[in-house]
Amino acid sequence: MSGAFRPRRALAVFWKDFLDLRKNVGLLVSMAVLPAVMVTVPIGVVWTYVRQPDHADLRTVALFYDPTLPLNVSAARFLIDKSLTDWFGMFLVMPVFVPILIASQSVAGEKERRTLEPLLASPVTAAELVAGKSLAALMPAVAITWVAFVLFCVGVDVVAWPLVKAPLMPNALWGFGVFVLAPLFAFFGNGVAVIISARVSEARMAQQLAALVVLPLVGLVGGQVAGVLKAGAGYYALEGAVVLVLDVVLLVASIRLLDRERLVARWG
Amino acid sequence: MPRVGGTSEPASAAEPGGIRVQGLGKSFGERVAVEGLTFEVRPGEVFGLLGPNGAGKTTTVRMLTGLLRPSAGEAVVWGHRAAHDGEALRKVVGLLTEQPGLYDRLTARENLRFFMKLHELDEATVWPRAQHYLERFGLAGREDDACGGFSKGMRQKLAIIRTLVHDPKVIFLDEPTSGLDPESARTVRDAVAELAAEGRTIILCSHNLAEVERLCERVAVVKRRLLALGSVRELRRAGQALEVRVEGEAERFRSVLSALSFAPGVLAEGGRLRVLLADEAHAPDVVACLVGAGARIHSAVPAQRPLEEVYLDLLKEDVT
Repeated sequence: MSGAFRPRRALAVFWKDFLDLRKNVGLLVSMAVLPAVMVTVPIGVVWTYVRQPDHADLRTVALFYDPTLPLNVSAARFLIDKSLTDWFGMFLVMPVFVPILIASQSVAGEKERRTLEPLLASPVTAAELVAGKSLAALMPAVAITWVAFVLFCVGVDVVAWPLVKAPLMPNALWGFGVFVLAPLFAFFGNGVAVIISARVSEARMAQQLAALVVLPLVGLVGGQVAGVLKAGAGYYALEGAVVLVLDVVLLVASIRLLDRERLVARWG
Repeated sequence: MPRVGGTSEPASAAEPGGIRVQGLGKSFGERVAVEGLTFEVRPGEVFGLLGPNGAGKTTTVRMLTGLLRPSAGEAVVWGHRAAHDGEALRKVVGLLTEQPGLYDRLTARENLRFFMKLHELDEATVWPRAQHYLERFGLAGREDDACGGFSKGMRQKLAIIRTLVHDPKVIFLDEPTSGLDPESARTVRDAVAELAAEGRTIILCSHNLAEVERLCERVAVVKRRLLALGSVRELRRAGQALEVRVEGEAERFRSVLSALSFAPGVLAEGGRLRVLLADEAHAPDVVACLVGAGARIHSAVPAQRPLEEVYLDLLKEDVT
């Protein structure tokens, strides 16, 4: 029952969802909280190290992570570098979480507002619906991630300058992460939210369930901080490859789940 | 077998417009929602789809608008097969759902523009049509207000405009005057009549039988299956009642008529007898019986039963 993909219809869905998002003050505030935390916390941590770079405890902590750390290497600088590498994993929670907030509203919200049936009675296809709604969730998520990244770089560099005397950020890892991994992670969060919100009746329930997917990410960061996992370029590249595969699976599943018959029979 | 009217025949199946439904059925797992529906609706006709809640009206409409795939039978809507040409079909149909289903944070204009975009219409060209309906339904000047602040009636009117904005050939209206004040309801009814006069096919689902009587040429009464099909006039006569005015008290002839096997019910009031008939062909027999019993008859006319009465009888018969 579905025909050729028509970009204009997908863009119509994007236009409507984006317009709706712009007018949803509560959701905008929710979306702003996480980036604010993601930017200010690491800047505060770096500032703590820079404030007392010669504190004896810093070397103790640094040696916990790397017992071979040479004496002539600054423990504060080592910990700053480690914090920034580890925090990168945490930063990736943001592009996963923000689309969950938006996509949960946009799909389950259609059911709640009883707008689903008029929408499905239009010529729009499932693929166009997924594309339009995904774009409306992904674009703000990626944009917010990039804006937060710029603020994060500026903040870290300003705070670290007295100790490092050179710009620390952006570095290659973060550049790769923010411009390659973040969109992949955002797609992942969006895909999970679309699938869950296609199966539950309330946007809030969809948000709560979909948000559970950030827990493994937080767990990985916990492993890094505990010294169990060693994060680096290879580690994040592997993470990206896994998420890419999941993205493809989620995309196919979302288009199948947004099938008219299924949605109307269940929720119409 | 459903009762089928015979005087207002629908268009032939070869006619490209209109709707042709043949043996249509839909099951959800073990549950049969609709079975064996067969009817035709011609272009320019307002057709009523009646039935109690849960009778399968909405499921039928969803099949005819390409939202649900039929489990059995076939439906052709304005030349498009409902089971296979869903996308093409949805371009020519307009669906007013029971709930207005508007985006509350968006303005009336934005709600309408969204559906213009979904239909890939040139907004500059189509907007005058939307503006025409906005003015007609008393929403002019409110285009840029958020729909969340609209009253129930305003929301319903905007939903109707949204249904019409892409100039559909076939229009499905589920309770179109629900929540409207009498003046607005009349505006909607006039609009429906005009749309039909322009050659569009209109399916009206409503529990407001007075409205159905006023607007629809033919109706189908469904309760999972087709219970009756015909013009409103035919259905009203389908109760086969005969109204007889006699000289003097009618009560004295009641027992004579009650003995007739083809007259299952007789009411007497003053000089008036209301005789229910198993078949209207027995009307002359009733008159002959009365004359035989010495009645002086002033008039004997087929009774025009209210559609509501016929409808309720049909549902009652289906239970028994």
